Amino acid sequence: MKRTVSVPIYAAAFAISLAIFLVGIYIGTLIDQANIRSISDDVSNISEKVASIQLLLLAEGNSSAFCPVYSSSLDSIDGDVERIGYKLTYLEDEKGVYDAELKKKYFIVEAESYLLSQKVRSLCGDDSVLLINFYSNADCERCRDQGVEILKARDALSSSGIDVKLFSFDGEIGSPVAEAFAMQYNVTSYPSVVINGRTYGGFKGSDDLQAYIKVNK
Amino acid sequence: MVDIATSLNYLIAFFSLFSLNVFILLYLKHRNDYHKPLKRTGWTPLVSIVMPAYNEEKYIVPSIRTLLDLDYPKDRLELIIVDDGSTDNTYRVAKAFEGQNLHVFTKQNGGKGAALNFGLKKAKGELVATMDADSYVTRNTIRELIPYFSDKDVMAVTPAVKIRESGSWLKEFQRVEYLMILFSRKLLSFIDSVPVTPGPFSLFRREVFDKIGYFDEHNLVEDQEIALRIQAANFKIRSSMTADVYTEPPDNMKDLISQRVRWQRGGIRNYWKYRHMIRPEYGDFGMYFVPLNFAALTAFFLLLGLLAYSVLTTPYYVQYIWFDAMGMDVTFVTFVGTIVILTSTFFLWLAVQSYGNEKVKLRYLASFLIFYWYIMVGYNVLFLFKELKREQYSW
Repeated sequence: MKRTVSVPIYAAAFAISLAIFLVGIYIGTLIDQANIRSISDDVSNISEKVASIQLLLLAEGNSSAFCPVYSSSLDSIDGDVERIGYKLTYLEDEKGVYDAELKKKYFIVEAESYLLSQKVRSLCGDDSVLLINFYSNADCERCRDQGVEILKARDALSSSGIDVKLFSFDGEIGSPVAEAFAMQYNVTSYPSVVINGRTYGGFKGSDDLQAYIKVNK
Repeated sequence: MVDIATSLNYLIAFFSLFSLNVFILLYLKHRNDYHKPLKRTGWTPLVSIVMPAYNEEKYIVPSIRTLLDLDYPKDRLELIIVDDGSTDNTYRVAKAFEGQNLHVFTKQNGGKGAALNFGLKKAKGELVATMDADSYVTRNTIRELIPYFSDKDVMAVTPAVKIRESGSWLKEFQRVEYLMILFSRKLLSFIDSVPVTPGPFSLFRREVFDKIGYFDEHNLVEDQEIALRIQAANFKIRSSMTADVYTEPPDNMKDLISQRVRWQRGGIRNYWKYRHMIRPEYGDFGMYFVPLNFAALTAFFLLLGLLAYSVLTTPYYVQYIWFDAMGMDVTFVTFVGTIVILTSTFFLWLAVQSYGNEKVKLRYLASFLIFYWYIMVGYNVLFLFKELKREQYSW
């Protein structure tokens, strides 16, 4: 029997598969853009919420009458800010989707949220611990591990009633806000952790972090 | 590593899509002659049917009865039953049917290949069929298969090996799988790439054994090895969709997994043995089908590794955004993966609807689509484990 290779069949199968692939790439890009847009909308929404709390604080001066409102609003804002941070990181690390402008916009909202939390902490006697994680995506081997250790420490402490609010800044992205914060807290290397205003440079394990948090509570 | 993993995901997705498209295009090209039976000829050669049996007292009686009921001149039919040293009553039960054209032999246990060869050497027919003792032919089987031999290059013809509707989930699951395998085999016959002459029933031209030798007695899947040898000798194997043969599948998960591990271990070794056929002179079989088997197995284990990698490297923070992360995962690979799943479902639907007389309940089709992957993972992991351990073959 003389055998042949069915080239037209394979060529057609290849062409169809390639066409599906190209459509897939296009749809994938659209989905990535939609994800970024959705996060950008979330950041704008939080920005509005932060502005309304700021307005209330300005209107009421140093009165503690609205503390319950501040606390509940800030809890929600801080939670949302943290979740958006994770979403941005996930898109960046797992999907390779990166938007520097959105990240800078996010750091501004995060900074506002941090400053408000600091203000409410002193005004209302809120005992939440404010923790800033300074990291760098450019050149920092332990930064990813540091993020995990911070979450583990936070989860471990929440069972003993200690509430830790997390804020993260990429110090080398070119964000003026992140750089200003780094300067304010004398952050010179990554990772660095600031707990209620006190700076700890270098990688810290979960146990150490828990101890520092308890000391600075 | 993310980039390597992503590239591999792309590669596997493209490969799966391409392979499925080849089969679908083959179907579209041959859809009009897919079911067409060949015109019967008046040729009634002497046909010998060799049935090896090992501990088959439970199934052999109905199996023999279907042979005796075949629509074929009795004086042109020779039935040879070889008891392979059974420890039950197989020999005694079969012996009760012995007559003018039905001969029953017994020999020391030596494996299926040896029993087949024992029977083949006794067979006098111009055409010789091999048949499992737990399989049942339908009346027209021989008459439907014979016309294929009018092409002198055809050395073997395979019938439509199926499983009867039973209501048992495991059997129905295998029934769907058999229909899909049968569908694929028919499509492969259009590019001269049938890779197996199924043990339940296959009809051979007697002279092929003189030309290429008998069954490999030390092979785990001797019915595949002989088919590869026929392909390597550039003879044709054809596949009939109108001659139905029913077989008994494993009725429990342990036996099913054990059977599949044996098929997989023997199968991949056989393809390796015939890897020299990956050359243009072997046409589609050499340039597409043999490499496809190696590529499919590699892709399967790569995919398994990638899934494990993705689970093991899931960032700690993802636990706080599970739902969002799932949403963000809907990207290019998910899209192509979905197309692959949809195309596979379409292929399965094509396979099942192509048999007018086989109705499969929707719930069995759905469970096949959902669970087939897990069973494949089970036996492939076991296969890899046994190969790495260099565990001895047993049959």
